[in-house]
Amino acid sequence: MGPKISVKNLNLTLGTTRVLDSVDLEAKPGEVHCIIGPNGGGKTSTLRCILGQMPHTGDIEFEWEVNETIGYIPQVLEFDRFLPVTVNNFMAMTVQTTPAFFGLRGIFKDEVHNALKRLGLEGKEKRMMGSLSGGEKQRLLFAQALVPEPSLIILDEPMTALDEAGMTVFEELIIELKNEGKTILWVNHDMEQVGRLSDTITVVDSQVIAHGPTETTLTESMRHGNFRGDLKGVAA
Amino acid sequence: MGMEALQMELQMMGYRLNYAFVINAIICALIIGPLLGALGTMVVAKRMAFFSQAVGNAALTGVGIGVLIGESYTSPYVSMFSFCILFALLLNFTRNHTKMSSDTLIGVFLSISLALGASLLLFISAKVNTHILQTILFGSILTVSKTDIAVLSVVAIILLAVGIPLFNKMLLASLNPALAHVRGVRVQLMEYIFVLMITIITVACVKIIGAVLVEALLLIPAAAARNLNKSLGGFVLWSMIFSLSSCLLGITIPMLFDIPVPSGGAIILVAATFFLITSLMRGLLPQFKEAKI
Repeated sequence: MGPKISVKNLNLTLGTTRVLDSVDLEAKPGEVHCIIGPNGGGKTSTLRCILGQMPHTGDIEFEWEVNETIGYIPQVLEFDRFLPVTVNNFMAMTVQTTPAFFGLRGIFKDEVHNALKRLGLEGKEKRMMGSLSGGEKQRLLFAQALVPEPSLIILDEPMTALDEAGMTVFEELIIELKNEGKTILWVNHDMEQVGRLSDTITVVDSQVIAHGPTETTLTESMRHGNFRGDLKGVAA
Repeated sequence: MGMEALQMELQMMGYRLNYAFVINAIICALIIGPLLGALGTMVVAKRMAFFSQAVGNAALTGVGIGVLIGESYTSPYVSMFSFCILFALLLNFTRNHTKMSSDTLIGVFLSISLALGASLLLFISAKVNTHILQTILFGSILTVSKTDIAVLSVVAIILLAVGIPLFNKMLLASLNPALAHVRGVRVQLMEYIFVLMITIITVACVKIIGAVLVEALLLIPAAAARNLNKSLGGFVLWSMIFSLSSCLLGITIPMLFDIPVPSGGAIILVAATFFLITSLMRGLLPQFKEAKI
């Protein structure tokens, strides 16, 4: 089972701007928890604080049950498209210490192959990263997050460049990972997807506007992108 | 008669290659070539070419300071290493603590280091043979000593010991710092280690390639290798091959044919030829065009 994540009184100030103000968040083991809210509301900042990448105040606790491995899927991978790095090179770079130019080590081959297969990237191991489409790169970012096997998966809006087929692969995988007991923390813009796939949500716009089970917390106005207008049904 | 002349010429070539300084230079080439070739792939991947240029310029100031404080003007390593390391750390610190883009900041530092170095060298030129300026700027195999080889060997061992285990981390940190952090990489530390690696190899190569041209040998063989390869393995291997060949040919051709050019210039011209050939191959041969999709 994945970890429980508790965030209490999270504050983040950058320069003179208060980005996050007393944000509380809780994700239970094995659930899909989405962080939603307007653009610039602090969703990614919340994730980055949880990952220890931004100077913040407040308490962030993980209660790990099994391994403490986090699979992180960023929004995009900026890449010099002419750089001679293949899909396998990239996977080697992320999972092993032996320099990627020596190739993927034997002990990781099966795990990497399975991860690529789960994302529909089988047979593209020798393709240059620069020749992958935006959607394929995002699938690759998901694949690297699966090796070594994580108990917590953190997604930062990684679905922006996906086509319909890619989206289906992503969604099926999220359901599979949830069924395997992994905790999933997900910044997501697609309210329809949030409604279908998440168990709980936290709505952040500098402060927490609402949080609780998706079914009762995600209002109709939120589904249309209005996060402050209608707070009916909020389980605060 | 023609055969005799050819035999004489070949014999002369053999003698020239037996000089101690030529052997020293070839030993240096065998160390520098593969090392700069491999490191160059990282420089290209991390888009840090102008950083090494800035450090090369800083080496001019290092030489100037060395002469001023009484170090040997042929090997002022203490001043060069000290000044260049301080310069590189300051540049990286400033880059991390300002919102300025890397190219702007490196451009500013590059100009400052060139202005400072050139001014200082001209100021001290009365104290030393002005020929030394040419040596520092463009390299000279005539001045390569056992000390230079020893310094280069130590630097090579340090770079291999640090660079091999940290290669993936440094590359990942430049591709996606957030992802690298989650993978346990200390991103800022990797940046500092990388700039220090570039700095010490640049200083160690100044005698043979020249302060102005070290950056070119980090960049051109890697750029030539990138033209032909689709995977990291081929990229690194070919960059090492191009770099080593450039060093060996750049040192031996002017010696063999008695061409009065500085070793640094000859090395870079050979590397540039490789780049030209591979660029043509990439443009004309379909098997090298995948990256253009």
